[in-house]
Amino acid sequence: MRNDLIPFELQAISIAVLAAFLVWVLRLVRTQRLSLRDSLVWVLTTLLATVVALFPGILVQVARLLGFQIPSNALFGAAVLYLAVNVLVNTVAGSQNAARLRRLAQECAALRAEVDLLRARSPGAAKADERGPRVP
Amino acid sequence: MRVLAIVPAFNEEQSLPSVVAGLRRSAPSVDVCVVDDGSTDGTARVASGLGVTLLSLPVNLGIGGAVQAGYQWARDHGYAVAVQVDGDGQHDAAFLPALVEAVTSGRAGLAVGSRFAGPRVAGAFRSTWARRAGIRYLSWMLRLRCGARVTDPTSGFRAAGREAIELFARGYPPDYPEPESIAVAARAGLTVTEVPVRMSQRLHGESSISAWRSFYYLVKVSLALVVLPTRTPSPEDSA
Repeated sequence: MRNDLIPFELQAISIAVLAAFLVWVLRLVRTQRLSLRDSLVWVLTTLLATVVALFPGILVQVARLLGFQIPSNALFGAAVLYLAVNVLVNTVAGSQNAARLRRLAQECAALRAEVDLLRARSPGAAKADERGPRVP
Repeated sequence: MRVLAIVPAFNEEQSLPSVVAGLRRSAPSVDVCVVDDGSTDGTARVASGLGVTLLSLPVNLGIGGAVQAGYQWARDHGYAVAVQVDGDGQHDAAFLPALVEAVTSGRAGLAVGSRFAGPRVAGAFRSTWARRAGIRYLSWMLRLRCGARVTDPTSGFRAAGREAIELFARGYPPDYPEPESIAVAARAGLTVTEVPVRMSQRLHGESSISAWRSFYYLVKVSLALVVLPTRTPSPEDSA
């Protein structure tokens, strides 16, 4: 734990922030605003970051292995790449949801039109429904 | 021969009655299907009083999603030809029979109404200079990427035969779909033909393509035309 890479205060703050972040993610899962499946990537990366905050020596080793001059650059590089991948994955999910929503809206409109047709063909059914013609 | 006119309408309560009346006058045997694209005005109420089939989208999908809903209706109800006519009154229904004829005669799988194909008519709406330049660029792109010769690729006035109906019902570009859908049809091996039509300036409301969006339009459609030939079918397309 004790090391001369970063001051103890900074290390303590990092770990506290990461712990708070983890608590936030877990709360979102508990209150069902974030699905367990989607939370996994956040939980795992937060835990990983906590390990690195506890043992900054890991970062130095990894940076040296990859040929970075300064360990913090390795950290920034990894963080930017990670965030970019994350945003792209989310955009893909958004596109997919838009396509699904489009299908559902079209299906919905078609079904309403079919119901209108059926109502028009059988006046008895129309009378049973007091709402009459559909108004948005 | 059953023909369906698909009329996409977003907040068109003012122009819709005259559009439908024009269709009834020029093509009385054609069934009319108004697609209300989540309008916030009285479009749905006006349409339901016109005795047309009304497809009411619960949310606004944009022109592509709306038109596709119409093609799905045409597919599921066995129409042989579907003609797209804008709900804003820009398209003159008098040219509808000519578009339909291009498809029923077997000359075209998709017939596109063009402002530029025929002889120049005095007073007819041909858009601004900048827009015409953009249109020329798009038609050049289409010829290059898909081999389709179309002088008015942004035209939303078109007739689709059974094959094109099924194609478009399965997958239709969601936004700024006109040039891209021509590419989709051409790539599927359909013959795309143009029919000269006259269009008028819109009477009410705003064009969905404002000046600053034109750039986005060109970039988006260019990208679509470049990527399209390499694209695999989407899982949502199978529906």
